[in-house]
Amino acid sequence: MDIFLLLEWTIKSVVIILIILGGFAYLTLYERRANARIQTRIGPNRAGPWGLLQPIADAIKLIFKEELIPEKSDKVLFILAPVITVVPAMILLAVIPMGPDILGFKIGLADGINVGVLYIMAVASIAVYGIVIAGWASNNKYALLGGLRATAQMVSYELSLALALVGPIMLANTMNIREIVVAQKGLWYIILQPLGFLIYFIAAVAEVNRAPFDMPEAEQELIAGYHVEYSGMKFALFFMAEYGKMIVICFIGATLFLGGYWGPFVDQVPLLGPIYLFVKVVILLFVLIWIRATFPRIRYDRLMAFGWKIMLPAALFNVVVTAAIVLLLEG
Amino acid sequence: MTLEEYTDRFTGMLNFDERKGYEGYIVHSERLVEFARTIRDELGYDYLSSVTGVDYLPDEQIEVVYHAYRSQGGPGLVFKVQVPRINPIVPSLVSIFPGADFQEREAWDLLGIRFEGHPNLRRILMWEGFHGHPLRKDWEEPYFEESEKPFNSRWPEGKAFRIEENKPFKKNVQYPPEFTPDGWIPEADTALYSGMVRLGAKDAGNGRSLETDQILVNLGPQHPSTHGVFRMVVSLDGEEIADLQPVLGYLHRNHEKIGERNTYLMNMPFTDRLDYLASMGNNFGYALAVEKLMGITPPERAEYIRVMMAELTRIVSHLFSIGTLLNDLGAFFTPMLYALTERELILDIFEAVSGSRMMCNYFRFGGVARDLPEGILEKVYELVTERLPRKVDELDTYLTDNEIVRTRSIGIGVLPREQAIEYSAAGPVLRASGVGYDVRRAESYSIYDRFDFDVAIRHNGDVYDRYLVRLEEIRQSLRILQQVVRDIPDGEFQTGKPQYQVRVPPGESYGRVENPKGELGFYIVSNGKPNPWRYHIRSPSFINLTAFGEMCKGHKIADVVAILGSIDIVLGEVDR
Repeated sequence: MDIFLLLEWTIKSVVIILIILGGFAYLTLYERRANARIQTRIGPNRAGPWGLLQPIADAIKLIFKEELIPEKSDKVLFILAPVITVVPAMILLAVIPMGPDILGFKIGLADGINVGVLYIMAVASIAVYGIVIAGWASNNKYALLGGLRATAQMVSYELSLALALVGPIMLANTMNIREIVVAQKGLWYIILQPLGFLIYFIAAVAEVNRAPFDMPEAEQELIAGYHVEYSGMKFALFFMAEYGKMIVICFIGATLFLGGYWGPFVDQVPLLGPIYLFVKVVILLFVLIWIRATFPRIRYDRLMAFGWKIMLPAALFNVVVTAAIVLLLEG
Repeated sequence: MTLEEYTDRFTGMLNFDERKGYEGYIVHSERLVEFARTIRDELGYDYLSSVTGVDYLPDEQIEVVYHAYRSQGGPGLVFKVQVPRINPIVPSLVSIFPGADFQEREAWDLLGIRFEGHPNLRRILMWEGFHGHPLRKDWEEPYFEESEKPFNSRWPEGKAFRIEENKPFKKNVQYPPEFTPDGWIPEADTALYSGMVRLGAKDAGNGRSLETDQILVNLGPQHPSTHGVFRMVVSLDGEEIADLQPVLGYLHRNHEKIGERNTYLMNMPFTDRLDYLASMGNNFGYALAVEKLMGITPPERAEYIRVMMAELTRIVSHLFSIGTLLNDLGAFFTPMLYALTERELILDIFEAVSGSRMMCNYFRFGGVARDLPEGILEKVYELVTERLPRKVDELDTYLTDNEIVRTRSIGIGVLPREQAIEYSAAGPVLRASGVGYDVRRAESYSIYDRFDFDVAIRHNGDVYDRYLVRLEEIRQSLRILQQVVRDIPDGEFQTGKPQYQVRVPPGESYGRVENPKGELGFYIVSNGKPNPWRYHIRSPSFINLTAFGEMCKGHKIADVVAILGSIDIVLGEVDR
């Protein structure tokens, strides 16, 4: 019995990590193609049919690139930083239920644990250390500025992010993510929590340093910010962390606000569940790409002001109102 | 001339320049500052367009030439100072015209004229530690062969060879005495860094005991947002700019010295390389200056073709500028690519007309190189009446009211009206500050007086207004183009026979045009030989940078990039 359980966990873990790795690779292609369309270009279409082999070509290129480590950097931290950044992105998916039970078989690794939302917040916060360490260990002024910006930005937006997740927790009266999804069977929480979803999405974009909140790596000002000194696979790890986290925030958003795997006929055909989830994630990812292609970057001080003066009060307001309504309806 | 009554006041110190082919006044160097103050305060010549020097080797003299204009428009005033060639000292005019700052540094760098009273007389285009002043007529570069092209030595017995084969690399490099290149530490940087404004912990004024310090960051020469090899030394207090010093010269190729070696016609393609986004405009300025010396005017059709090309160039350059500005604000290439799509269509026209998309080399003295090919007028007509107006409106809708664009650019990099004039800013930078100065109107050249167009003007002088001025100028250029296509006559496109060697009578001339980046001036001195004696470029990008440090102070580091983008420099022109 135990050995089977272990085997099941191992297989599921590998699958989840593969989802992130494969997702990361094809998300880059998806982004490049979608951006190209928005920008009246074609995008990469030479490697394989529709450019499908492009991510593989990129990976091979990055693997064979020279790995430079600056002489005056802190070498241990310099190598450690990309690892610290990428690991949280890979393990976050563990608590996401991918679909309803099929013949008693759970699709999802640890989606039943009773502190799922807390796990998400805790693990997501670790990534900021990687970025700060990268900025510090590079011994480069641009990287340092990028690292400083990242710390301030992520700390500020994490608050709003956590408060936005309080809404679904209160509505479902649990932190167990599978139960939150089950509770959304009739009505997606985006209907009950429109403000919450908006705050979650904005804060999540800031949390993963995507445009227009890509302060820490602002190309036009800080060149590449915290990862300016990284090359080869170490750079690819940062890249992977960013895109992996993009996928993860879309999964979390789809799960907590867009009804997770629910959709028409899931009751009859449970296999549709993962497909619905996938479609929702792809749509959310497109929104992220769309935002990047159409908005200039907000200035750093305005970003901080926005985070503290608008996002946080709005998130608090949302929590208070939701709590009051939940209490009133119960009472 | 109202100035004549002032000759009494400057008795013996102010004379007409009576050399044949020359104009203006010769001021004695002792009274130069007083004279400059007089013309600025009493005669209204408040805009110092150009400062440059000429080395008259046979006369053992160096002459500093100033071109001043009124910011309301009208003809200019030329005045000169003559000093002996050995150790020339001229009083600096920076206290009266701050816009002379970089230009005087350039004259010191390249000609060795010492400007007394200049606050920061360092080399600007050459590096500190460079030996000699390259624009002096007796200065010879490492590969020196002859002082005039074409070099006879290049085809002995009818066979061409490379001079490098004669003198292998490094055998011909000379170092100043006591200089070892291996152990060299650039003192210039140390001097520059120590000269930066540093607020001490006490001056920081945050009222707390926490000690803070600035960090010095070198933005550039390799940096994605400097539009080339441009370097800014920035002293940062947190994210805020305490001080900023531009460092130029990474793309310096001594354009003017090479220009003096070239024959007049050889310089025409060479001007393409100045502001390479507006090569037709550069051709125009140079052609005007030389034609003024030669005393010829192009035929009617050529004038129309020239205006057409210059205005198309303006659209190209402004589209590019708006696109890159948005990129600098952090937009991910989308506005840029939208702008570049339209630019390509105009480059198609350039290619059909001149055979090249960027380095057009289309103008000739007394006309243009060849007539318009068949069908191109219809293409231009369709472009300027249908496609481009629509696309400009589209850009306008997408960008002008975008909340992020507005918050990022309104009130950023403000250059007030008075300062804009003082700093000799030109082009959209000047007009966004509320000075309606456009050379096409102020001192109309070619046939611009025939066309109906407005000078785009805005009054806040910030990044947003510079963007809006550019957008409006595209619309005005389209208006001019519509009139050009309607009115263009048939006829000759060139006066006289096309010729490789033009005869240019001795004298001086200053030809200026309103280039997309601002007022582009060519100051040319001829001594009757096939090569110009002096070939100076008043480059708008370079002079607009004079006010750059001032504009940036107190802003955030992200704003520096936006401000630089709004000045719209092209390094080919800045460093020459």
